[in-house]
Amino acid sequence: MAADPKAVPISQLSLHQLDQFKSQLDEDVAMMTASLQQLKIVQQKLVDSKESIQTVAPKNESKEILIPLTGSMYVPGKLKNTDSVIVDIGTGYYVEKNIKEADSFFQRKLDFVKKNLEQLQQGLMEKHRMRDGLIQMMKLKIQAQSSIANS
Amino acid sequence: MAGKAMLKEQERILQDEIQKFRGLQKEIQKCASSCSQLDTQLNENKNVKEELDLLEVDAVVYKLIGPVLVKQDLTEAKQTVEKRLGYISKEIERYTGTIKDLEKKQTEAAEKLSKLQQDYQQAMMKAGSVAR
Repeated sequence: MAADPKAVPISQLSLHQLDQFKSQLDEDVAMMTASLQQLKIVQQKLVDSKESIQTVAPKNESKEILIPLTGSMYVPGKLKNTDSVIVDIGTGYYVEKNIKEADSFFQRKLDFVKKNLEQLQQGLMEKHRMRDGLIQMMKLKIQAQSSIANS
Repeated sequence: MAGKAMLKEQERILQDEIQKFRGLQKEIQKCASSCSQLDTQLNENKNVKEELDLLEVDAVVYKLIGPVLVKQDLTEAKQTVEKRLGYISKEIERYTGTIKDLEKKQTEAAEKLSKLQQDYQQAMMKAGSVAR
């Protein structure tokens, strides 16, 4: 199996090995791009949650709201509790938080997601760089081979 | 002829070993995917533990059991999450160990396979030259 490009200069690898390595990199890039998309979706959801808790503010107390009972049935009601919300913290646990705590919770999660997005972006760029290097090397080898064949 | 029968036997053994090798590969893949699932769960539970640790002693915690949010005691919730973290970590260790063993077996099987293939090819060439 082709070695890590840092351990063996890719000019020493055969065309077949380079192709195998390229396929591996293609898979990695596809996987990372998919993960990137998922993270972006999560980020959007967190932003939406963070914004929506702002509407549960004291200034909206006693305002009329529609409460979903099922996917298509709502019930009219009045907003009573404007100082706490229940937040999903994962693995089936929910915590009652006041607006300020909930806001900082979402901010924490957003920061976490942002950090991961940045790391993933960097990794993805690195993979692209390696892949481009491989393709260059493959082109050179193909040219070399065809010039030998022609001579 | 005795030569032909031996060749057939070698071929059969070769096919057997190939099947075993493929089986090992499938096992390793299964373990690897379990491992990655467990890793995701581990991280999620770690995040929950961090959040619970940030809470005041009188914070209100609920657990989703079916369609019902059931009130939980904060200390109890923390303990449950800790226990889960311990369990998942142990499972990950177990799977990692299994994968190491399987990979060792796979390398041995690969060596055996390549030797059998070489022997088989040589035998085929000999059989070919004798028939002439």
